[in-house]
Amino acid sequence: MANPTSDTAGRLRRRLPRPTAESQPFWDGCARHELLLQRCLPHGHFWFPPANICQRCWSTEYAWTPVCGLAELFTFTVYRRAYAAELADQLPYVVGIVELVEGPRLISNIVGCAPEQVRIGMKLEVVFEDLDDAVTLHAFQPHADRA
Amino acid sequence: MYQRTAAIVGAAHSRLGEIPGATALGLMAEAAVGAIADAGLTSADIDGLIVRGPDDEYCFQQQLGERLGLDVAWATSLDNGGASQPLAVLLAALAIEAGLATTVLCGYARDAWSRTRQPASRKARLNQATHHRLREWRDSFGYFGEPATHALGAQRHMSLFGTTREHLGHVAVTQREHAARNPHAQMRAPLTMAEYLDARLVAEPFGVYDCSLRTDAGAAVVVTAAQRARDLPHTPVIVRGFGSHNNLSGWTVGDHMVETAAKRSGERAYRMADVTPADIDTAQLYDCFTYMVLAQIEDYGFCPKGEGGEFIASGALRLDGAIPTNTSGGQLSEGHVEGMLQIVEGVRQLRHEYPPDRQVPDARLALVSGHGGNTVCHTTLILERG
Ligand SMILES: [Zn+2]
Repeated sequence: MANPTSDTAGRLRRRLPRPTAESQPFWDGCARHELLLQRCLPHGHFWFPPANICQRCWSTEYAWTPVCGLAELFTFTVYRRAYAAELADQLPYVVGIVELVEGPRLISNIVGCAPEQVRIGMKLEVVFEDLDDAVTLHAFQPHADRA
Repeated sequence: MYQRTAAIVGAAHSRLGEIPGATALGLMAEAAVGAIADAGLTSADIDGLIVRGPDDEYCFQQQLGERLGLDVAWATSLDNGGASQPLAVLLAALAIEAGLATTVLCGYARDAWSRTRQPASRKARLNQATHHRLREWRDSFGYFGEPATHALGAQRHMSLFGTTREHLGHVAVTQREHAARNPHAQMRAPLTMAEYLDARLVAEPFGVYDCSLRTDAGAAVVVTAAQRARDLPHTPVIVRGFGSHNNLSGWTVGDHMVETAAKRSGERAYRMADVTPADIDTAQLYDCFTYMVLAQIEDYGFCPKGEGGEFIASGALRLDGAIPTNTSGGQLSEGHVEGMLQIVEGVRQLRHEYPPDRQVPDARLALVSGHGGNTVCHTTLILERG
């Protein structure tokens, strides 16, 4: 896993996630700089967001499993307006839907390149951003070797 | 199979726009009284009620019934977001055919602008009830507001098909042209393509003119048996067919944001109504954002998938275009009442109520859509001049 990008590490001011019993292991994984997803035991299906049942086979037998952190950008938007005051000085920023190589898609930020360079289909790798508040968020940056 | 036995016989909207002190319930009552009077009926005739208000209003049908002194055989509210309003008409038609009710009032009202004037919570300002289960995965990443959700789809459409901001701009500019001829519309000042392109960006590719308005208004229609409609004052508008589809697995799943739930909803409605896209004289499409018009124009088969941009740029949505669309100005320019005004406009076009500069000539069939519920629920109505 790559390290946090220098321009964002430790300085992000974000609304903090409020984990539930279902999602706590995901956020605990982020804190350890590990991207963990649930994976059903019978068939190895991955899913996201966290849930108590496999979306495909309805098995309730699963294990929290590290994924490789590689992904492709499915789509994105560049925020030019701050909908939350704490983000005003971070404009423009990129919200993307990233498709993990394991299949599930998740909402994240695209970092490590200018918004103008962001393209659908670009290869990405996960990075982790440790906030001052002892919360860690995932983000994705261009993956040079796979571009 | 539904036997085309229901008709819309009354339609009205309340005052519309920025109405200081307005409440959703007050506006709903205003529209309900208007629609019942328009139908030539009285409160004693209403034995069914399907109305919806802002997402944080509990049991809105009971609140309206209390305000209007109505006890009815059949009533509910709906929870499919912007797909709820045509769904109300769909369910009213089925209820009438099944004998659950004879005359059903369907409506929606909101106080989206007035809320912004109250010292209230952010949730109230946004007039939406995005569940914390969603927000856990959005807020920390700065994913706020409905524009982003639809911008994600627009961006993907652009990437796949070469759709441009100008293409989206033609939706906004054309609907503003329609609104200029609508004395009730919230935004009537002409909008040029240059102004559209220069507008402040919100969430790319959307600027402010890609987004629908913040409106205080209610709107309602009265549905009854087609047979009964003959004795009433207006030309009845027959509910000829309908359909729905719900991509409940999510907007970001598969390619739901490019081929939307409108596709399969429309196929079902066309089949039931026994018509094709070429038969439709006017479309009143749910337009929370410009992109949703473009996507639905394709999904409803008015042009092939991926060609919506050029099709719209050719003037297709204009009154004299291939498929006159959102002829009141729509939610982008007339007012955003969660698709309810689309139904009202469809009815008025089919009644041939308008002066020539606003009337779709000889309109006989109208397609009306509703879309919402985390952007995956969709309902289609095909209405016919009786
Ligand atoms: Zn499974």
